[in-house]
Amino acid sequence: MSSGIATDHVNLNSLLADSNVNEVLQELDTELIGLKPVKARVRDIASLLLVERARKQLGLVGSAPSLHMSFTGNPGTGKTTVALRMAQILHRLGYVRKGHLVAVTRDDLVGQYIGHTAPKTKEVLKKAMGGVLFIDEAYYLYRPENERDYGMEAIEILLQVMENQRDDLVVILAGYAERMNTFFKSNPGLSSRIAHHIDFPDYNAMELEQIADSMLKKMEYRLSVSGLEALREYIPKRAQQPHFANGRSIRNALDRARLRQANRLFSLKDRPLSRDELMTIEGEDLRNSRVFT
Amino acid sequence: MKITQGTFSFLPDLTDAEIGMQINYALKQGWAIGVEYTDDPHPRNFYWEMWGNPMFDLRDAAGVMVEVLACRKAHSKLYVRVNAFDSTLGFESTRLSFIVNRPKDEPGFLLRRTEVSGRQIQYTTESYATRAPEGRRYE
Amino acid sequence: MVKPADRYKSGVMPYAKMGYWDADYVPKDTDVIACFRITPQDGVDPIEAAAAVAGESSTATWTVVWTDRLTACDHYRAKAYRVDPVPGIPGQYFSYIAYELDLFEEDSIANLTASIIGNVFGFKPLKALRLEDMRIPVAYLKTFQGPATGIVVERERLDKFGRPLLGATTKPKLGLSGKNYGRVVYEALKGGLDFVKDDENINSQPFMGWRDRFLYCMEAVNKASAATGEIKGHYLNVTAGTVENMYERAEFAKQLGSCIIMIDLVIGYSSIQSMAKWARKNDMILHLHRAGHGTYTRQKSHGVSFRVIAKWMRMAGVDHIHAGTVVGKLEGDPNVIKGIYSVCRDSFTKKNLEQGIFFDQDWAGLRKMMPVASGGIHAGQMHQLIEYLGEDVVLQFGGGTIGHPMGIQAGATANRVALETMVKARNEGKDIWNEGPQILADAAKWCAPLRAALDTWKDVTFNYESTDTADFVPTATPA
Repeated sequence: MSSGIATDHVNLNSLLADSNVNEVLQELDTELIGLKPVKARVRDIASLLLVERARKQLGLVGSAPSLHMSFTGNPGTGKTTVALRMAQILHRLGYVRKGHLVAVTRDDLVGQYIGHTAPKTKEVLKKAMGGVLFIDEAYYLYRPENERDYGMEAIEILLQVMENQRDDLVVILAGYAERMNTFFKSNPGLSSRIAHHIDFPDYNAMELEQIADSMLKKMEYRLSVSGLEALREYIPKRAQQPHFANGRSIRNALDRARLRQANRLFSLKDRPLSRDELMTIEGEDLRNSRVFT
Repeated sequence: MKITQGTFSFLPDLTDAEIGMQINYALKQGWAIGVEYTDDPHPRNFYWEMWGNPMFDLRDAAGVMVEVLACRKAHSKLYVRVNAFDSTLGFESTRLSFIVNRPKDEPGFLLRRTEVSGRQIQYTTESYATRAPEGRRYE
Repeated sequence: MVKPADRYKSGVMPYAKMGYWDADYVPKDTDVIACFRITPQDGVDPIEAAAAVAGESSTATWTVVWTDRLTACDHYRAKAYRVDPVPGIPGQYFSYIAYELDLFEEDSIANLTASIIGNVFGFKPLKALRLEDMRIPVAYLKTFQGPATGIVVERERLDKFGRPLLGATTKPKLGLSGKNYGRVVYEALKGGLDFVKDDENINSQPFMGWRDRFLYCMEAVNKASAATGEIKGHYLNVTAGTVENMYERAEFAKQLGSCIIMIDLVIGYSSIQSMAKWARKNDMILHLHRAGHGTYTRQKSHGVSFRVIAKWMRMAGVDHIHAGTVVGKLEGDPNVIKGIYSVCRDSFTKKNLEQGIFFDQDWAGLRKMMPVASGGIHAGQMHQLIEYLGEDVVLQFGGGTIGHPMGIQAGATANRVALETMVKARNEGKDIWNEGPQILADAAKWCAPLRAALDTWKDVTFNYESTDTADFVPTATPA
């Protein structure tokens, strides 16, 4: 490419290749099962940022894009994982300098006594600078029922930094969809500074089965025929019960199944056990769960 | 006069961007960073006032710069320095220390000579600035 | 094993047979281990030569003595346990010898060296012998005080961090009157140096008595300190004919408020240990000039390597030691110098044959010794000096300060500006090894003294081959 052309043309492909963002997107694809709409949104945002960079290269100056985001969805739907990847993407595209993720909740930001909140919040913000600050269940910062709550103080400091130090950090607010909506409605200042909303849907039964399968593979276990049958009955039953947390609930169920498998194998301790037996989760290992009672 | 304590006192005053680069270097080594200020720059005044505790676990200079700028704003007429602390076994001490703010006019020091026995002289260094009470120096 | 009746029959017997060679011996953690380079006389078997070294440096004499049998002699005999040919040098061998800890008195370099480099260096069956390296066991190290001050405490006392310290030796080294001498000290300190130094042979001569020198130098130090707001120092050389005289001079230096004194290596190991104890007790930094070492450290075939001297000096308790420059006018192969600097500054020195370090050495919490680079170096080499020598080092530019065309203060300023500029650039992530000259040239645009220094010494290099080089890599001294 001659340098004369380079000044008024830009090649998105080579920009993309230079940034190594595709690797992150691919990792996101293989690492997380399902979540199609989320992955599509992440790709959209990555493209937007890439184009923004291309525009900057050609001297097209708009205002620096706001990058703060909100991730809404039920527990266990991959919000933290995606936030980690998002931090990498922002880093590789040059929007944050270091690319680390600092994940916090209300307790890390808000103090219990007067004068404690500002230093606590500032401490967290300083640690997050150069990277991404992920505030899980962000709505707990706002407790209108208690007028002396210090959460508002944290929100105000947060707002200031989100506005004035956009180059220094990106904030991601996360939590249940409905509660986040209420939170944003009562805090329009925050809401107006959020540029990207990503909604994380619940996993369907099929996806949860795949998640279970991939978790077991990583732990060097597998399901017998009766085990798979039991899992297929377990998933919808569990999903209807309270405190269902998608991927996280599946992990817990498998951990308990391993415990029961170990108990079952221990009762056979008088005879040698095969590699196969040590690896296999049987139907009964799952069916003894409370979910079935 | 110009007091030449600190790692970079013989260079032109560091810009904020240059201060940031030194801080990033220190953070990369895993050092904690503290900001200190004083109105008594005597060479053996080891304890300047701390502008808060040293900052641990920071990743980027922007976090430190928040405090550097705040301290400089609050004490614009005094000396402000940035210190980096290394907790590694065998060091456990300051590894970098440089001045990031100084008074416009630095009156320097009086060298007081007290003649003792024979040709011996006892030397005392005194900051001219400390002749004014605390809080009214460098005004 | 030989039967006792045969072993102790009167007469002469090979050292190896006497029990000074044991190929199966596994050194204990508490053993002192030495690695010697031996050059046996023609026809002498290297294993027998190694055993002879072990014998002569521990319990043996030339013939069998029955009085051995009154002792636990197996315990006391040093054991040669390994002999390797020196790569590329026919006729030379590295022999490893282990010494039982009970052979040595605690806290005494004199006792340690009386064995290890005692009679054995004149032993006839060897053409030449060199002590290459030693492993001092933690148990023995713990009986030594170590550096009186150490790098960390020295920096805290001086309140100087993040960059090498800067010094210079007053020149001419001999002949100046006390008053003129102090002038040089003041100018150099005010211009930006941290330290000025007496030379090794300035003690108390007809042209300047020691008290005069001390009084004028301290006037210069205090005046420069008040003029800059920095702590400054002058290494007052207290070397004298007797330890009593040295104590007297050191006491006077303390009374005058000096933060540092200096001694020469030629005063001897016990005097050095005495002065180190005095320095620890009196909050004094102790600088050691290695005068005389070149007589036995430089030739590869015979003598004691400087890294061993450095080890002994760290144990003996000095704070500063001249340790080579790589780029200057004195002997210094880069790898060998790196090894010596490691000995001075590590908490744990890893075995590194390329750097002449034959053993892992745990320093057992002994404080660190500040290496001093001195001799024919100038501001234009700043990037190389920092790259080779690191941050915890005193860079001494004697001629490069005092010989500056614009005067001594300007010379000092040039060095300080070059140093701070280079450290700043390094911290900013610049490739100072390659961009160094440009970085200096840029700084010289706003600093006239640096410009003059770069112009004056731009072509000065000392490009000779080193004699003391590592045997495990081919190396050349850089320009």
